[in-house]
Amino acid sequence: MGEVPFVQMDQLTHRYGTTVALQEVSLALRPGTIGLVGNNGAGKSTLLKILLGMLRPTQGRVQVFGVPLRRARDQLRRRFGYMAEATAVLPLLKGVEYVALSGQLYGMTRRQAFRRAHEVLGYVGLGELRYRRVDEYSRGNLQRLKLAAALVHDPEVLLLDEPTNGLDPPGREAMLALLHDLIGQGGKSVLLCTHLLGDVERLCRHVVMLDRGRVIYDGPLAPLLQGQQGQWELRWRGPGEPWLAWLRNQGVQVQPSQNNHQAAAVVVLPTDWDTRRLFQSALEHQVVIQSLVPVERNLESVFLQLARSSPAPPRSEELPAQQLAEVADDAD
Amino acid sequence: MPIDVARYHGWNGTLRGPWYSALAVTRTTLRQVFRRKVLWVLLALGLFNFLLYFALIYASTQLPRVGDRLLERMDFVVRPDAQQRNGYLRFVEQQGLVVMMLLAFAGSVIIGADFRQRGVAFYLAHGLHPVHYLWGKWLAVAVLLALVTALPALVLFVEYGLFTTDWDYWWQNRAVVSSVLGYVLVMAVVLGVLLLALGTWLHKTVPIAITWTSLLVLSGAVAGQLTRSTGNRYWLLLNLWRNVRVVGRWFFGYYPRPEDRLLAPWAALILGGLTALCAALLWWQLVRLRRWD
Repeated sequence: MGEVPFVQMDQLTHRYGTTVALQEVSLALRPGTIGLVGNNGAGKSTLLKILLGMLRPTQGRVQVFGVPLRRARDQLRRRFGYMAEATAVLPLLKGVEYVALSGQLYGMTRRQAFRRAHEVLGYVGLGELRYRRVDEYSRGNLQRLKLAAALVHDPEVLLLDEPTNGLDPPGREAMLALLHDLIGQGGKSVLLCTHLLGDVERLCRHVVMLDRGRVIYDGPLAPLLQGQQGQWELRWRGPGEPWLAWLRNQGVQVQPSQNNHQAAAVVVLPTDWDTRRLFQSALEHQVVIQSLVPVERNLESVFLQLARSSPAPPRSEELPAQQLAEVADDAD
Repeated sequence: MPIDVARYHGWNGTLRGPWYSALAVTRTTLRQVFRRKVLWVLLALGLFNFLLYFALIYASTQLPRVGDRLLERMDFVVRPDAQQRNGYLRFVEQQGLVVMMLLAFAGSVIIGADFRQRGVAFYLAHGLHPVHYLWGKWLAVAVLLALVTALPALVLFVEYGLFTTDWDYWWQNRAVVSSVLGYVLVMAVVLGVLLLALGTWLHKTVPIAITWTSLLVLSGAVAGQLTRSTGNRYWLLLNLWRNVRVVGRWFFGYYPRPEDRLLAPWAALILGGLTALCAALLWWQLVRLRRWD
């Protein structure tokens, strides 16, 4: 991720009245696939709205492709495509008209927009439904329609707000396959904003975690999902207690657990240990190891762990008065 | 449905500015309006009135004796006369009633549904400023209004000119064009902003239609009653629809009632204030929605 960031935020704070939605967020989003995750109310949608120029931050600097946000309207229109979580139902419009309207709103001519709308609707698999009215689309097809509307002007970056929310498993799979193809073949950068962490695991290489308006993690995804080095889940049969005591004496961290009424534990081996030594010690203590699997973590458990360990942000009243007095004019 | 696995193709082209995009808002809004069948009934009403005058003007040029008598009975003056009587003003005012009904029922489609079903967020998420959005919506109202009033009035004006051999007609009556356009502009500004403001607050057809009718018709009844009981003509200024007509007539320079000429500046002031208030409410709603939606 050495490229120039398409979004650079510096000490970004946004407040709705007395409620702090984002607090001192500093991020550099570089081309690639980025997951923006957090609980409801974490500030994800506010962040997206600021990126889209729909909200002016209370404080802090935002640059889009190197241009201050306030002067970046053209950059936003040309280079960003936005897929909203909620579907805007424009009454009596057909699918192809909806997508073409999106293209025209981005600045395409009417002819270009309609030609391109037919093309992207075919790509997302709605070619046969393009003349159906939008309010007759199923949930899954609506999501595809919104993706087509975001793609119509061929943006570099897709801002996707909950693209798989409310979809049944086949619909979710189909949407993820489409996104995977867009990232791989289409070469799009994606900022995936979701609370379905499995989607982030499937698509993203970089993750930004928000909790109560603060960034609690900003970095690559892979190290998060790898278990602690030398951490194993162990099941055995035989007299385990003396063996576990011996292991503890040798510096092995042992965390006993009950797994289907079987003897089980999670062990963390010292760096100079390998699994052969573990098997050797089991043999010496007349214990039969039934399974030994490396511990892998999922994003959900990591997120919960990080969210629990992050300090609670100060309430809005506790923010410095000077900070509150900052006006949006200074924002960028 | 299986995914179409065709390769993704990029697109190269130049994108135009947001003011151009506002025209897409206008086109889409008009498309939505014309897809409502009930609105075609009202448009047909306006068209019927237009065809009636069209036929009468044709008759007056081809069968002068009969046609002129019919036009006289309809109190329609094809050529503005020495008393400044002007048939096009009469026609535009009649069409204005159709416009009033049309807008009452179209308010929900034009803007109310956007606020009810997140359409505003859709438009603004494409890098449009609320000003572009409002301009596009207002333009849609203005086009709709012009289609029912200005366009047919100008067609009638041209029709008479084409069916007579009198070339002086065009030059002598050229002010008819600017008068019609001026009158329609007043209607478009006042009614357009009022309708957009009502649509953002009331969203649905029935509340919009009731409030619209109350503001434009009921206010007339109240004003008439107060004027009759007190004898004070200034109470007529409560009648918003009358105010629009009084200000619009200024472009034609024709006031059947002399007191209307005196009331015209006050009517303009009231309409200006109302429009400014509606514009402020409209803006406030948009900013609020942009923040929370």
